[in-house]
Amino acid sequence: MTATLRMSLLSVILVSVMVLSLQSGSVNLSLIDFWTGLSEQQSLVFWEIRVPRIVMAALVGAGLAVSGVALQALFRNPLAEPGLIGVSSGAALGAVMVIVLGGALWGEVLSWQMSLSAFAMAAVVTLLIYLIATSKGHTDVALMLLAGVAINAVAGALTGLLISVSSDVQLRSVIFWMMGSLSGVSWDGIALLGSVTLLALAVLHRLRHPLNALLLGEQSCLHMGYAVQSLKWQVMTASAVLVGVSVALVGIIGFVGLMVPHMVRLWVGPDHRQLIPLSALGGAILLVSADWLARSVVQPAELPIGLLMALLGGPFFLLMLLKRREVGV
Amino acid sequence: MSQNIMPTQQTDNALVFEELHYRVEGATLLSEASGRFEAGRIHAILGQNGAGKSTLLRCLTKERPASSGRIQLAGHDLQSLSYRELAVRRAVLPQNPSLVFAFQVEQLVGLGFDVQDWPSDSRAIAMQVILQACDLAHLAKRDYLSLSGGEQQRAHLARVLAQIWPKNPDASQAFAGKWLFLDEWSDGLDLKHQVRLSALLRQWVKQGLSVVMILHDLNQIMQWADDCLMLKQGRVFTYGTVPEVMTPENIESALGVSVRVLQSEDTSTMIFPQLS
Repeated sequence: MTATLRMSLLSVILVSVMVLSLQSGSVNLSLIDFWTGLSEQQSLVFWEIRVPRIVMAALVGAGLAVSGVALQALFRNPLAEPGLIGVSSGAALGAVMVIVLGGALWGEVLSWQMSLSAFAMAAVVTLLIYLIATSKGHTDVALMLLAGVAINAVAGALTGLLISVSSDVQLRSVIFWMMGSLSGVSWDGIALLGSVTLLALAVLHRLRHPLNALLLGEQSCLHMGYAVQSLKWQVMTASAVLVGVSVALVGIIGFVGLMVPHMVRLWVGPDHRQLIPLSALGGAILLVSADWLARSVVQPAELPIGLLMALLGGPFFLLMLLKRREVGV
Repeated sequence: MSQNIMPTQQTDNALVFEELHYRVEGATLLSEASGRFEAGRIHAILGQNGAGKSTLLRCLTKERPASSGRIQLAGHDLQSLSYRELAVRRAVLPQNPSLVFAFQVEQLVGLGFDVQDWPSDSRAIAMQVILQACDLAHLAKRDYLSLSGGEQQRAHLARVLAQIWPKNPDASQAFAGKWLFLDEWSDGLDLKHQVRLSALLRQWVKQGLSVVMILHDLNQIMQWADDCLMLKQGRVFTYGTVPEVMTPENIESALGVSVRVLQSEDTSTMIFPQLS
């Protein structure tokens, strides 16, 4: 199967699950209704609730999957994932900082301010983990994961501390945000995440050859003529932007960056020429489907999507660890 | 009217290093190292653990800048050559290449080709030639992680060859200006592949390739190398052609082991460490 065929296949699947998901929810909307014309209520539900939600799910899934690809190249290990190594909880801390401190300092907090702060914290955590776990171009995987545990703990504690000193109004918005999920998505948020996702994808796609070489180690990457230092900065920034903005907009959703790149690698191998676009599509498919599932299983209520992904991703991670023990890498 | 006087052609293709020092965290790993690796020859670097072999290789490949000293590659100051320019002139096989991602052998070798622009048809031909040379043709579709240590080593060797592979490898001086730096490349290779690959290296050297290899095995140096540079405690102990340098006296001083040299009838020489 050629690369183009694979891309087309995943695109068709993505469009299909999006269309199917569009019809599902507490207000009935079927393809026939589109044919006969939507009622005013249906139209409102469609354009202001359902479409934004599904588009956002696709963007978040694509962004998180690609941020996983980027971090895995940076750490040269398939277990690097924004949730596991603390980047996501760092981003969450950044977002809560703005809600609480910004709420006290300048009143109404905007989504781009939360995104910016979440991005900054995500970048700081990525750099910190990199400095801790990587020396002389070699990553100690155990150290990377353990440092992630520590950072998750500290970021979680600091977030809790901020919540405990927040006022009632701030508390409400923090809790509203922490429940996150994909409900209450705005077109502004979509425009923001959509543009940074496209930008990061473009940057990483341009770096596909050096990223391949980086998997061989920093020395070899350098010897193959690629500028390793600037490569690492760009990869860190791109993944921090993707994680930061998506966490600020929809909260922490784990394991997408672990599962999707892993499955795509099993399918086409680790070459970034295909890994990046296919992971973006695969991440979008996974999250749109998961969101659909989350809305369908306990109708009319819905499962938090983060919870659903943890249920899926946790066992997946354990399987990867077991596999790793077998082959010894 | 042009006088048409050509300047005396500078055909200095050698790798020249002068007064290299390398200090890190108070330790001097390399001091006053000077030498000249002529192009189109196989140079071996020999020395005890910690004598500075890998450090010298890192400096010569611009992986690490020397603390002081000068390096010239084919008349160019090494510092003035970008990594991009260097990548098509020289390839480096590190000592323990590590890779935990499951590239197919063909994809891995392809990473070497990606460094240069290749038309897809001639790239496919060159790929086949290199896979044949490294005895990997039957493993082309295999996942790297499923290979044995020696097979993995051959796959990396194929990758670095692909990086500097000439567009017309049949030309008499096809490999002129190309350098290969190999850090203990024969480690983990079985005898058959050592023999096969060393013969191929020799053939490419005749076509102009220059090779710098770190080796520990004295007899491999005797068989494969033209010149040998011995390092001792970060300094160049001696340098010259293999017959000049590989004497029991030099080996004993540089490596701290006394050896016996046996000359066989067909003029090949064997060196044995003496059990004290």
